[in-house]
Amino acid sequence: MDRRKFLKALSAFGLAGTLPMTLGTTVWGATAQRLFVTVNASGGWDPTALIDPKGNSQRADGLGPVNKYPASAIKSVGRLQVAGYPDSKEPPAKSSAGHLETFFNKHYQRLRVVNGIDTQTNGHETGTRFVWSGRLEEGYPSVAALAAAPYASQPMAFISNGGYDFTDGLVAPVRTASAATFTSLAYPNSQYADNAALRAQTYFSNKAYSTVEAARQLRLARLGSGETLPQRAAQMAQLEKVRRGDVQLDGLLAYLPAQVSTGLKGQAELAVAAFASGQAVSANLNLGGFDTHGTHDDDQTDALTLLLEGIDHLWEQLVLRGLQDRVTVLIGSDFGRTPFYNTGNGKDHWNITSIMAMGAGITGNRVIGATDANFEALKLNPGTLEPHSSGIVVTPKHVHRALRDFLGVSSELDKLYPLNVERLALFA
Amino acid sequence: MSQHLRRRQTGWLDKCLLLGLLLSMLILALPANAATGTDSTPNFAHPALTIPRIDVQGYGSLNLSLVLESEASMTFRIASATPAAAGLTPGATYNLKTQELTIPTLRVGSQFYSAQLRFISADRLQLVSTTAVVLPGQTAYQQLCASCHGADGLGGSVRVSLKNCSNCSALDVLGTRINNTMPLGNPSACVGTCASEIASYILTAFNGSSGPQAAQALAAIEPLSLDATLRNAALHLVSRVPSSAEIALVTQKGEVGLRQALDGMLEEDAFYTRLGEIFNDMLLTNRYLASNGAETATGLMLRFPTARWYDPGVSLRGSDYAFNRSTTNDSVALEPLELIEYVVRNNRPMSEILTANYFMVNGFSAKSYGITSVTFNNERDPNEFRPAVLPGIPHAGVLSSLMFLNRYPTSATNRNRARSRLVYDVFLDVDILALDGVRPDGSAVDISSKAPTMENPDCVKCHSLLDPVASSFQDWNLRGTFAPPRTWYTDMFQAGFGGVAAPARSKGDSLQWLAKQIVADPRFDDGIVRVVYRGLTGHDPLRAPAANSPQAETEAYLAESALLDQITAKYVGANRNLKTLIKEILVSPYWRADGLNNAAFAAVHEQTGAARLLTPELLHRKIEALFGFQWRGPLDQYFSNRNLASSARLLDARQYYHQIYGGIDSFTITERLSDPNGLMVIVQERMANEMACYAVPNDFLSARTARRLFPHVETSTVLTSAQGQAAVRQNIQHLHRYLLGEELALTDAEIEHTYALFSTVLQQGQSALGTSETTSLPTRCMRNNDISTGASLNTGGVDRRLRNDNNYVVRAWMAVVAYLLADYRFIYG
Repeated sequence: MDRRKFLKALSAFGLAGTLPMTLGTTVWGATAQRLFVTVNASGGWDPTALIDPKGNSQRADGLGPVNKYPASAIKSVGRLQVAGYPDSKEPPAKSSAGHLETFFNKHYQRLRVVNGIDTQTNGHETGTRFVWSGRLEEGYPSVAALAAAPYASQPMAFISNGGYDFTDGLVAPVRTASAATFTSLAYPNSQYADNAALRAQTYFSNKAYSTVEAARQLRLARLGSGETLPQRAAQMAQLEKVRRGDVQLDGLLAYLPAQVSTGLKGQAELAVAAFASGQAVSANLNLGGFDTHGTHDDDQTDALTLLLEGIDHLWEQLVLRGLQDRVTVLIGSDFGRTPFYNTGNGKDHWNITSIMAMGAGITGNRVIGATDANFEALKLNPGTLEPHSSGIVVTPKHVHRALRDFLGVSSELDKLYPLNVERLALFA
Repeated sequence: MSQHLRRRQTGWLDKCLLLGLLLSMLILALPANAATGTDSTPNFAHPALTIPRIDVQGYGSLNLSLVLESEASMTFRIASATPAAAGLTPGATYNLKTQELTIPTLRVGSQFYSAQLRFISADRLQLVSTTAVVLPGQTAYQQLCASCHGADGLGGSVRVSLKNCSNCSALDVLGTRINNTMPLGNPSACVGTCASEIASYILTAFNGSSGPQAAQALAAIEPLSLDATLRNAALHLVSRVPSSAEIALVTQKGEVGLRQALDGMLEEDAFYTRLGEIFNDMLLTNRYLASNGAETATGLMLRFPTARWYDPGVSLRGSDYAFNRSTTNDSVALEPLELIEYVVRNNRPMSEILTANYFMVNGFSAKSYGITSVTFNNERDPNEFRPAVLPGIPHAGVLSSLMFLNRYPTSATNRNRARSRLVYDVFLDVDILALDGVRPDGSAVDISSKAPTMENPDCVKCHSLLDPVASSFQDWNLRGTFAPPRTWYTDMFQAGFGGVAAPARSKGDSLQWLAKQIVADPRFDDGIVRVVYRGLTGHDPLRAPAANSPQAETEAYLAESALLDQITAKYVGANRNLKTLIKEILVSPYWRADGLNNAAFAAVHEQTGAARLLTPELLHRKIEALFGFQWRGPLDQYFSNRNLASSARLLDARQYYHQIYGGIDSFTITERLSDPNGLMVIVQERMANEMACYAVPNDFLSARTARRLFPHVETSTVLTSAQGQAAVRQNIQHLHRYLLGEELALTDAEIEHTYALFSTVLQQGQSALGTSETTSLPTRCMRNNDISTGASLNTGGVDRRLRNDNNYVVRAWMAVVAYLLADYRFIYG
């Protein structure tokens, strides 16, 4: 049995929770002390409209400007450089948490930015995979799945809202829906789960229900013990394990707002409620709208506004639940967008991108990496992390190498999915 | 034959009594069953050394098997000797004087040696010398082929195995293939003798030794009964239980009858629903259905002025506006899947899904495209799709579909490479990104030249494959519109395929040319087999193992790939009719696997079988097939609550469980969940509770002969009499068969376990009546209204309602049904 299968077998029998993966601090118990959120701007965001701004100077090659706002509109917020709004686009209200200045003024001290990351691809699927797994090719789990893997026996260890959620069988991703759906699942024996006054009216008496549940588990064990086909035996073992898990959805519901938001904010609310109730260890949030091949300035600005509002809301929810010192948040996208406009005023795919990190363990108000005026990645000295012509180009593989070190991913998992690349202190 | 051999043996023994080796050979030859196989090359696979044919003058040809007894002394024991199969050539000689066995070419893995063994006792030989042998074509193979196919031919980085490969049927077939197309991107590098020698090497080195092992591995699979296979196939393909006529066919004609029954199913409309799901899981073009946005498909039809024909303007919209809008959108969105359906339904070769010089429209989408040349029987029938042609557009099947091209868009920087990657993945079963293992890091690659993808060897490896296909899409722009560019990039490989350049462009038909090349490539057949196999079993065929993989993985791959190659050959031989392919997979041991009869093969069959967690769509339809209604709320409101999209618990993602239960929207969620998680098991629990609540009282409303669930009992049947006990057991037996497909004897322990559950719940309930329990059914389980009309069941002085459960029998049966509905054998299939 190879190592990966061995780990999967451990996971299938609920033992993976004892593997020595930590998230910043050593954790051997069943409950994770450190939690992890990824936020995916799906479609390929434009860092030059966010935290790697260029301005509207004409490119020397005649392809026009990178952005359609003047360099004077670029704001320095702490050590961060924040983009201006395109001339033709009405900015969101300053009071909006998604307004660039408002957002960065509020959060810059906890934000770390890595610019000039080369994703080496212009394909969505490949870019998403590389950015969230550290490997361009298929086969590596999402970093959020790695974070949850030691707690695979928790029924909601890894919450996924789409994007890249491949787990390679280390942990079962849990997908989400509306709050009402959760309510119906919190009380599966209730005829009127969504009506607190009638919730006690059940399909089965508690006694009958317990009898049925016990009979099911015994039946499953009998089936498993007599099964000779390995695949089915493994499926039965997995089903038995998951059924043994204790999902406390009513506990999760207690942490949800009375009215759950839609979109990214709603995803954030559910993730934080799952964290607060001890159900989840990691979550990936996902927001679309960034693939702006046409009318880039309008659409990208709108998408970025929603993104920043969602991140701000996530942070507020974490603070509300007192989790801000336990949760690390990583924000990224498939790749970047071209440093010039196409004939439809859109921007196509570009392999250079950025990431942002905030939360537990992250020292903010720092920018690592850089791009030139044409949004090409500058090489970095791997020691100083300063631009250097004989340095290296940072790729998502470097980011994940650093991220794994930062998160304390166990050597077992690290060897299963090796990232043989220079170690850069991107998050230290 | 055996007597003849014995007579000759006796004569020979008179002459060679002291030659213990041959004595042993001939004694062991007595069973006289001729070995099978077509490979003449002696082979050593630890610990067995097999010589398919060794000739002894005057005594015919023998198949000799030796077993390595001592690695220290390299001593072999003779394990068996049987008459050699016909058609083999001698692979070894035995010198009677020197008592030496000489093997000129002995295969050991992917290496070859000449070997000499010496007779040392009655049934033992010792290896005395070996010398490495380089076969003709071996060196050229290592230089030109191994980087992609692996030194062992099992697939290497690109995972295209040469073991049992579709062109490996004959030397001339393979030689021609190599001569014309290999190495990809540079076929002129190996032609003539080079090609034929490499072909010979491939056949000798990689395609001769797996037959017996594969056969043994397949024999270890215990298949489902034909009856059970029929049931599983019916539920999977057409979402119903088998008809009595189909059951009779199987009973009377065995596998022939099963195939006939499958033939019938593959003509049913329900099958095409499943077919669409199978292909959408790969293509994901359902991303444009209205469930992902009202006009996600029609919104892409920028160049068609009547795209929104259904909208006369806000103030003039009629009551049918919403219906026309969503139906038109979905009609446009479904076009590529409808093309596949059309090809399959009409028994056309699957190659047509790429080469079709037409696309599909119904009455709704035809208006959006402005097509008036197609006549419909009923233009308001959204299911009536017909072929159509857009004037001036060189259709190329799915490849030129507006949905496909938008689902995999391009850009000035991407240059159709994403489209090319998908074409390789889905239609050629090649993962471009797996080429040569790992894409070089940016810092390690010199991209300083003007066209690194054409000049830097690190880049050329992939781009020589990727870019010719990408360039073949050049006439179709980002939005999927046919718009030939005035010029195309010169810093990338030009349109072509398999090392052959596309002819000079005329009328922008390079995509049509590409489609013809793809379907002529044997990997296209592999790609289709993969799609169907994955759809039917829930997982891909096994990939060729890596060089250092355990032996079991290699054996598993060889066994499965050998069988899939046979299936592929039948499918190709049937003019690439997909129905043939589906049938062959369904009757194969891999789909029918029900257990192993030899535990020694457990590692080999680690992934064998078609049991999979049912997708939400499959579970939704299984429920409907077995109960006659869908899971979408209490039956009293069923008639008035028919909006499938928003009320079907397993299909709706917003309020209910489609997404939670692992479904995809083909947009942000594109991978199905194949393993249950904590929420999914609660969905199963709620489904079991609700369906038991709805179905049990409902079934008792019907006459006994019309019941699905309770043909042997009434609500008055209790356990106080032997007759009642027997009836309950009989009904439990029926429920196990009907809901789970289990054929159990009345004395089976599982019947007793279920009986105990019924009895316990009944007793508990009865004893609590009047205290914690009432005689009323749970409110949502009551049956007051007709399910199909909504009319009251209490009309005309006849009260057919079922509201009470005076002796708790209904609720005890509800417990039994809920128990069975969350069972592994219900939720997996």
